[in-house]
Amino acid sequence: MQGWVTLALLLSLGVKRSLAQNGLGEPRGLTLNPDLPAQTLSLAWQSDSTLFDLEIFHTEFMNVVLNATVEVQADPVTGLHSWTWHSPLPLECTSHSVRIRARNQQSVSQWSPLQTIPGWDIPEKSYMFPEDKMIPVGSNMTFCCIVNEKEDFKEIKYGRQEMKATRLSRRSYAITVTNQPASDNTGTNVICSSQKFQMLTGTVVFVGYPPGDEGLVCETRDLASAECSWKKGRDTHLRIKQSLTNYTLNGRDCLEANERKTWCSSKMWEENWTLEARNPLGTVQLTDSAQLTDRVHLLAPVNVAAVKVEAWSATLQWSWSVAAYKKLEMVCQLRLFAHELSSTRNYDGPGLSSVVLEGLWPDVDYTVTLRCGSKHSFWKWGDESAPYRIHTKMDRPDALDVWMWMDSSNTGHVFWKPLSVRKSHGALNGYEVSQSSAEEDGRNTVSLPPGNFSYPILLNNSSDVTVAVAARNPAGLSQPSTVTTPAYRADSQLSVSELLGTNGSFVLSWEPNVSASSGYVVEWFPTGCTGLCPIDWKKLPESDRSFTVNSVYTTTACSLCAPLLISDSLVAGVRYTVSVYSLYTSAPTLLQRWQGYSQEMIPSQSVSELSLNQTGSDVLLSWKATEMKQQRGFIRGYTIYLASAAHLDLIANITDPAVQSYRVKGLTLSSYKFVVKAYTSAGEDAGATVAIKMEMDTADMLFVGILVPLGIMFCCIILFSIFFYKKREWVKKAFYPEIPGPKVSGDWSSPRGPLDVKPSPHSLVHIVKNPEWDFTKEGLFPVPEEEEESENDNMEVDTDSDEPALLRYYNQVVGDGSHSNQVSDSSASSTASMGSTQTEITYAGIQSPSSSQGAYSGGGYRPQMQSVTGPAEPQIEFEADFQDDGLNAGYKPQCSWQLDSPEAENFSGSLGSPTSVTSSQFLIPESSEEKPQPSNTWFHNFLSGKS
Amino acid sequence: MEGAADSDTPVPERSAADRAAALARLLHRDCTRLLELYKEREDFLSQHAPGGERLVTLALCPEAPSTAEQVGHVRSALRRCMELLECLIVREVEEMGEELQGEYESLRKTVKDRLGHLLHSTGALLENGEGGCPPSPPMQCIQGQDEVEASDSFAAKIWTYKVLLELIHWTDSASQTLHVFHTEKHGQQQQQQLL
Repeated sequence: MQGWVTLALLLSLGVKRSLAQNGLGEPRGLTLNPDLPAQTLSLAWQSDSTLFDLEIFHTEFMNVVLNATVEVQADPVTGLHSWTWHSPLPLECTSHSVRIRARNQQSVSQWSPLQTIPGWDIPEKSYMFPEDKMIPVGSNMTFCCIVNEKEDFKEIKYGRQEMKATRLSRRSYAITVTNQPASDNTGTNVICSSQKFQMLTGTVVFVGYPPGDEGLVCETRDLASAECSWKKGRDTHLRIKQSLTNYTLNGRDCLEANERKTWCSSKMWEENWTLEARNPLGTVQLTDSAQLTDRVHLLAPVNVAAVKVEAWSATLQWSWSVAAYKKLEMVCQLRLFAHELSSTRNYDGPGLSSVVLEGLWPDVDYTVTLRCGSKHSFWKWGDESAPYRIHTKMDRPDALDVWMWMDSSNTGHVFWKPLSVRKSHGALNGYEVSQSSAEEDGRNTVSLPPGNFSYPILLNNSSDVTVAVAARNPAGLSQPSTVTTPAYRADSQLSVSELLGTNGSFVLSWEPNVSASSGYVVEWFPTGCTGLCPIDWKKLPESDRSFTVNSVYTTTACSLCAPLLISDSLVAGVRYTVSVYSLYTSAPTLLQRWQGYSQEMIPSQSVSELSLNQTGSDVLLSWKATEMKQQRGFIRGYTIYLASAAHLDLIANITDPAVQSYRVKGLTLSSYKFVVKAYTSAGEDAGATVAIKMEMDTADMLFVGILVPLGIMFCCIILFSIFFYKKREWVKKAFYPEIPGPKVSGDWSSPRGPLDVKPSPHSLVHIVKNPEWDFTKEGLFPVPEEEEESENDNMEVDTDSDEPALLRYYNQVVGDGSHSNQVSDSSASSTASMGSTQTEITYAGIQSPSSSQGAYSGGGYRPQMQSVTGPAEPQIEFEADFQDDGLNAGYKPQCSWQLDSPEAENFSGSLGSPTSVTSSQFLIPESSEEKPQPSNTWFHNFLSGKS
Repeated sequence: MEGAADSDTPVPERSAADRAAALARLLHRDCTRLLELYKEREDFLSQHAPGGERLVTLALCPEAPSTAEQVGHVRSALRRCMELLECLIVREVEEMGEELQGEYESLRKTVKDRLGHLLHSTGALLENGEGGCPPSPPMQCIQGQDEVEASDSFAAKIWTYKVLLELIHWTDSASQTLHVFHTEKHGQQQQQQLL
């Protein structure tokens, strides 16, 4: 045992010796100096080595958070090695322990003793770290929550997001948030809660951006100081006071600047400017440099006033609030607003403080604003003055535009155009019209109120009359405008040319007239107008030879080229008379006259008096053109249509508007409807319609109406006669077959076949072959329709039944009517037996039962029985009948009769007879007195070819 | 139509106590809305209700006092609430500046004004200073904030929440107490009129 202990001691001594022998001493005096806000841990130690291994642990769980080899030189003064570690985790979150050893390649010294800085998870309280941090957007950060001793940790939420926590120590938990987004106004809350869902503690982190300001510009307003402004950049998202951006301008605090006020002032101008914007997340610097004279931004002129206002001009004065402006060479811009129109005028001069506004209009309200700038090195316009109002004085009106229009040889009107605001120079009081002639001395002057724009002229003699018109306003009377009566020329006296409108206007041109010393007048008015017509005119200089009358607006005249457009009300679809007069010193002379439409439209009315006249198979259409007012365009022709039910068929297009009739030829006997439409270049009118029913002549009517049907009838009779004669055998067989006589033994021994009895004219005999009812009806064939119908008239037949309605035998078997119509009740059955007046015969005579039995096994004629009354009962009745038939084959009397039948009275003799039977066969009467006999015989003979 | 009918009917003059009670009810609704707005801004408060001590407690008043004394009691609490609200406004303006002018800030000012009116009204009701609690010691704005174990900003948020809770509580108490006070006064007046 002692030997083992000795060996162990020797080994340990050997190891220590080997370590000591490699020359690396253990670092000494390791000290830790934490910087909690910066999350850094500064290490300092003494050692002779420069390469060290470092290990940092979370003390409680001894989790290694750093294991690194660093080269650290000793401080030459203090001889200490120092190294700083930045912890991703707030150092308060848990205790940290550090140890260090020296290294020389593969040799290492012993670790220094562990040095520990305690965390805040030791006191019995809840904490959360870091507290109120401000970090840039996109940063990563680790938060830790230290829970109370008695609480159970549950979760940590970053904003609304639940994060995955890791445990650092017994009471400390951490989360790491990456790429953090910008915070709201009051920061992002990080909440730590317990298992009881109670909040333990929390912290706030402010995530934002560094300042983003840009565009620094400095200028002077008073030629001495400076005002610098910039644009706010990106929102920093930092709102709390500690995080707001601070500004300095050339190193001086700019206290007036904040998030909204982005300007800063300086008492003295400096050529170079630097603005520094700083917040906890960063700094930005903006620079600007300029001479003072290059950055003059003048203040607004003050005390603007008009010192002298005339009709056509005004003098404006103002003053400056900065004395230094008086020497500044400046340019001022004056803006005039009047009647929603504005104009600008520029003035310049040193220290400008008054200008004369020329070119104003009389009696107009002007609003003036003024702004100025430095003339040299113009930087920008200064502030604008407050608006100032000027009202110019009135002046005499301009001369009127006067024209005279004669509507007859001795009557006319003098017209003048109303003066615009620009030409009246003040509100007009009225007009003065004076009239003079060469033969009369003096002038007759009339004053008219301002609403008048015409005055009637009456020529008492043949001499020309000169009329002068002048406008009056408070400032005085305008220059008189004179016009001499032109000679009256009706349209009929002239060859009026057709004038085609172009895009709603008239384009005129005329040959120059050498005598037109005073120019020309173009006059236009609605054609056919009399009295106070909407006359319009345009005076043109003598150099003009073309003109365009337009419904849009007036432009300037141009000689030889561009047409003149004037503002008129050319109405589409109205014919205008356009005249050109040459002006002399004396009366105007008519040079040329046109008529035309500025824009043609379709006629508003159809042709009138549309009529037609038939001549044989021809029809002559004639009409009259509509009145000129309704034409609304030059009538270019007429179109004639034949109207059918759905459409119009064009039958003629008359391109000559003078032709107002048309002959439609070769019409057959029928009804016709014609539509006549007039058309202009714009299209056709709605059309006038006229209808005719073509009639024949009297001779034709006789021939067609009487002789032709007679002839056809005769032909048919002959053809039928021939046909029936040729086919008489077939007809006889088909319509009148040979009927064999009855066969009975003895007197009744006629062969089996139709009963040769003398029936009452309205009897019916039903011959029953088999007493057993045959529902299948095989071997039966239908009774001809006529006979069936006659029965159905009196019998209720189930026409919906799939079975044949009524099947009987001819000459052999006749089905019982009551069973052919199984649904009929007894009354119906009896009614059927008695009701027929055509084919049913009731026999009053007695027939031998034996002969019947001989003819039919167990059957024979069956008298009608009282039928059942309900649909379900016939079966029972049938079975009873069947049993009866089996027991008592032969005739049976009818049990009852339907006495309310109308026919019952007619056959009272046969009613109640025990041998009454019905038959539906054709029965050949023996007596020639029977009604069918004569015709039957004749027809039979005819068919047989007998005479 | 209803309003028109109401306007036609003569309305008896409301007493000062009745008006004060109505003002307290209105203020209570304002305070409730103010807390809602604050919780919209700080949404964690909707999920985690902070616990802790009450900020306004009046332990000096006698138990089971008369109604007038209760009015005085409530008034003292409202006065303390007013001080807290003023602190709150100062702190928030200092921290956030006056740039934020939303509904919360607008209603916060309204509550302050109406609370001042209510204090004035209730003071006028207590003509002889009856029921008044001994004046509270001057309050420091930071009172209560240090009790929250959190960062400064977070503690301030919790404290604001508590102040708003106190406002809701005491304005509710005021409306109820003033209503009772008004009812009693009204009854007394009717008895006097009958006599």
